[in-house]
Amino acid sequence: MRKPDNINRKIILGRIYETQQLSAAVVFLVPVLIAVVMLFIIPVLQVVGYSFTSFNMNTGKGSWVGLSNFKYLIEDELFWKSLRNTVCFAGLKLVFDTLLALVIALMLDTRLPLRKYLRSSFFAPVVVPMVASSLIWIWFFDPGVGPFNQILNFLGLPSLQWLYSEKTSLASILLFSIWKGVGYNVMLFLTGLQNIPDSYLEAAKVDGATSWQSLIHIKLPLLRPIMNFVVMIGIINTFKVFAEINVMTPKGGPLYSTALAVNYIYEQAFTRGKMGRGCAAAICLFIIIFILTQIQARMNASKTVDYD
Amino acid sequence: MKRFIAILLVALLCVTAIWATAVKEEVPDHGEKPELTKLKVWYSISGANGKFFEGQAAASDEAHPEIELELTYTGSYADSATKISAAKLSGDAPDVIVTAASQLYTGEDGNFAMEEDVKDPEFNFSDIQSGVLEYAKYYGRLAALPFGISTQVVYYNKDLVKAAGLDLEANPPKTWAEFMKVAKAVQKASAEGTWGFDTSDGVWLVKSMLSQNNNAVVELKDGKITPVFDNASGVEVANFWKNFIDEGVMPVGQHDNAEKKFLAGGLAFIAATSNRITRWPGSTTFEIGAIEMPGFKKQAVALGGSTITILATDYWKHDAAWALVKNVINTENQTAFAMTSGYLPIRKSSLELPEVASYIADSELYSVATKQLSYAWAFTHFAEMGSMDSFFWYALDDIEHGTKTPEESFKNAAAMVAKEIE
Amino acid sequence: MKKIKSLKKINWAAFIILMIGSLAMIFPFAWMILSSFKTVADVYTYPPKWIPSSWKLDNYAKVFDMIPFGRYYLNSIYTSLMQTLLQLALSICGAYAIVFLDFPGRRKLVTLIRSTMFVPMVVTLVPLYLIVSKLKGVDTYAGIILPQVFSAFTIFLLVSFFTSIPKDLCDSAKLDGCGCYRILWNVVLPNAKASISTAALFAFLGHWKSYTWPLIITNKDKYRTLPIGMKYLVQESSSEYQVMMAAAVMAIVPVLIVFVLFEKQLVKSITLTGMKS
Repeated sequence: MRKPDNINRKIILGRIYETQQLSAAVVFLVPVLIAVVMLFIIPVLQVVGYSFTSFNMNTGKGSWVGLSNFKYLIEDELFWKSLRNTVCFAGLKLVFDTLLALVIALMLDTRLPLRKYLRSSFFAPVVVPMVASSLIWIWFFDPGVGPFNQILNFLGLPSLQWLYSEKTSLASILLFSIWKGVGYNVMLFLTGLQNIPDSYLEAAKVDGATSWQSLIHIKLPLLRPIMNFVVMIGIINTFKVFAEINVMTPKGGPLYSTALAVNYIYEQAFTRGKMGRGCAAAICLFIIIFILTQIQARMNASKTVDYD
Repeated sequence: MKRFIAILLVALLCVTAIWATAVKEEVPDHGEKPELTKLKVWYSISGANGKFFEGQAAASDEAHPEIELELTYTGSYADSATKISAAKLSGDAPDVIVTAASQLYTGEDGNFAMEEDVKDPEFNFSDIQSGVLEYAKYYGRLAALPFGISTQVVYYNKDLVKAAGLDLEANPPKTWAEFMKVAKAVQKASAEGTWGFDTSDGVWLVKSMLSQNNNAVVELKDGKITPVFDNASGVEVANFWKNFIDEGVMPVGQHDNAEKKFLAGGLAFIAATSNRITRWPGSTTFEIGAIEMPGFKKQAVALGGSTITILATDYWKHDAAWALVKNVINTENQTAFAMTSGYLPIRKSSLELPEVASYIADSELYSVATKQLSYAWAFTHFAEMGSMDSFFWYALDDIEHGTKTPEESFKNAAAMVAKEIE
Repeated sequence: MKKIKSLKKINWAAFIILMIGSLAMIFPFAWMILSSFKTVADVYTYPPKWIPSSWKLDNYAKVFDMIPFGRYYLNSIYTSLMQTLLQLALSICGAYAIVFLDFPGRRKLVTLIRSTMFVPMVVTLVPLYLIVSKLKGVDTYAGIILPQVFSAFTIFLLVSFFTSIPKDLCDSAKLDGCGCYRILWNVVLPNAKASISTAALFAFLGHWKSYTWPLIITNKDKYRTLPIGMKYLVQESSSEYQVMMAAAVMAIVPVLIVFVLFEKQLVKSITLTGMKS
């Protein structure tokens, strides 16, 4: 028998809760719920609604058109191009951001002079404002007077057209994006590495493991939770990339090579005023992101490593 | 007897009622004129020119103490467009707007009040140049007034041209075929890596070229717009565009970089907006000259720039707004604005003012720009013209990169425009 | 003896590679600062000059000439501060409830909050704008600040901090008869002070950069924030790189200074999110 105490309890849906906690929960969560409803749920529902209409931003009028917005998207080669760009960009960015960060973190985890400075220098680009940094890089990429071509020529390599050629434009923006974002992952991996108890590594050395083997069998498995986090955040963030494209290549780049899905949505909804179509594209994007993260979550759940 | 009186009374009542309503229609009741009318004015004229406009508006404000102006700079044409649409949607629209294609925002609501406003005798409507007026129409009807008008001007690097041994002031090329030869010659005579010709706005140039080839870009029939730039005369222009690339005179897809290249001395000829006339001289190591734009079958230049229109429908607000517009577009003010900004004067009387005449005589660039006004032209403005510009951009991209033949790209663009309209 | 040993253990290969890497990271900032002093001639020569020919502050003056930079700066500071404060309050409440309170639907709430991270701003922009403008929030500080107050990221950040507070502190408080509110005030907050300040820093930096929402919700110069001001500057001075650099310096250097001062805490905060996700 439980000791009688002064706590009031209530049974909801078969579980026991303390009333004081319930009332406190309501107080604390009401603002959060209001925020979520007003800032996300209602707008998302409206977006879903608009996607079936011909709602036009400029005229404010729209009527039900069923699936014709989606039909337009399927037939629009620009939409497919933007999706292709998004997948390309996301894939490459994810790979570079993760692997490069891992390699840098592994290197930083060794005995080095000036370690604090090196660490900070990799993280500094992460905190600075996006628009301001884009301005610097636009100059860097200038084929005529930018320093990048100057450096290439100095090394005996030919100049590139950077943002002006469909072959190099997406790669240029990728370069900027990696510069801006890799430091974040470096930090995560670095802390993960530093949290691995020295005893593990010592024990491995005693057993005769080379540093390569301790890398593969100890460090990487223990980094798995962080890796998952990095990949998940990476997927989410890549699909949100907007400002740098908008600032550097406002018209979608040569042959529409830098327009990502988000830019396509913005152009349809705001530049062309076809809100209905923009919303339909947004729904498509949403579905894609959702599927990808679900896939990642499934892959994640099947391999977990316990360590304590 | 009683019945007769009754009928008479009813008849009298009817007549009184009809007379009362008839009289009411003759004297519209707008209520009392409010003591203070506040007007929201949004404009997308940047920098020093924007400040100049604000100064003019403020002067008008002071002259009319019963009107209070709230002026806001709303960014580029694209940003302003988004803001104005959004504001209209939420019922918070400004009263007066100055931006590119401002007539879209009145025309789409069927608000052609401007047609009536310009009948005001103080306004001197006939003084406005007719070609320029087309730029402020919507589906053929007047829904705004031209304000910050510009055309593209073909500027050139005088040092490079002189080095090639040519004198363009005496012997300017009149057709594009002649121009191609000139550009090639200058390019050959210049340092390695110099380009012959480019433009900072390909879409604008293409529109001029279409008109020069007797193509109206779009046609309005029975209230419906159909693109016509994909017929034979349009495709000829597309093919000629490809020539620029094939002959090595114009770099591929570098229009956004054209101005910088020209200023750095790496480009011999550039077609750019006339409002660079006030910005460029003095910022380059070489002297800048200008020639009238070459033509095909005839000379024509497409108009660009901003128009001003009144969104307010409330009677007193509209009245106050019209007072402002009238003031800002009168000969004196519009001329002053044009001269300081590099935009063009819209009134014929402006060209006769002594200060304008002397400015034209002094400035080679400005004289070319004003000469072009006599054959300036605007296509029929319609709701989806913004999208049409995007499609032109993609088409030019395709042509220059060779991913589609010129005919294919124009046909594709026309199909997309048609899709957008339905 | 020990010193020589430790010198030998230094990974020189990694050091050199990392130094080159860090130079690549820092180079844009160095370029930005140097270029902010350049003249137009310096910019347009080929090959481009790296060191400016003169060290005048002309470009900085020009920035203030072209746009009301000072006003934008102040607006950014004010809106970022307010957003951070409100966001903290909201997130602390939410995180506390999730970690310390037991209520039906707790897991579902976490999933709900997590799913909001998937929605890019562009998608919710117009409906949000319509809602805010109906409430007359356009061109007001409230309109800028309030819709940006919710951040799933901050909530989860605080959740991971709160879960690391030792359970026995709360249990002993409960035994003493403290209610939920007391526990928050007397136990959780004092212990999480450092973590909350790092979350605050992170939130502040995030708000400082925010671009899309303020772009659409402000029309008047009076209310514009810095990132938008920068965009206008780009439009004004499209060929004048050196003026853009001066503006970039003024936008970036304060952030860098904050970063250098608070680096340790910033690092701590991101790593904890990663670990306990």
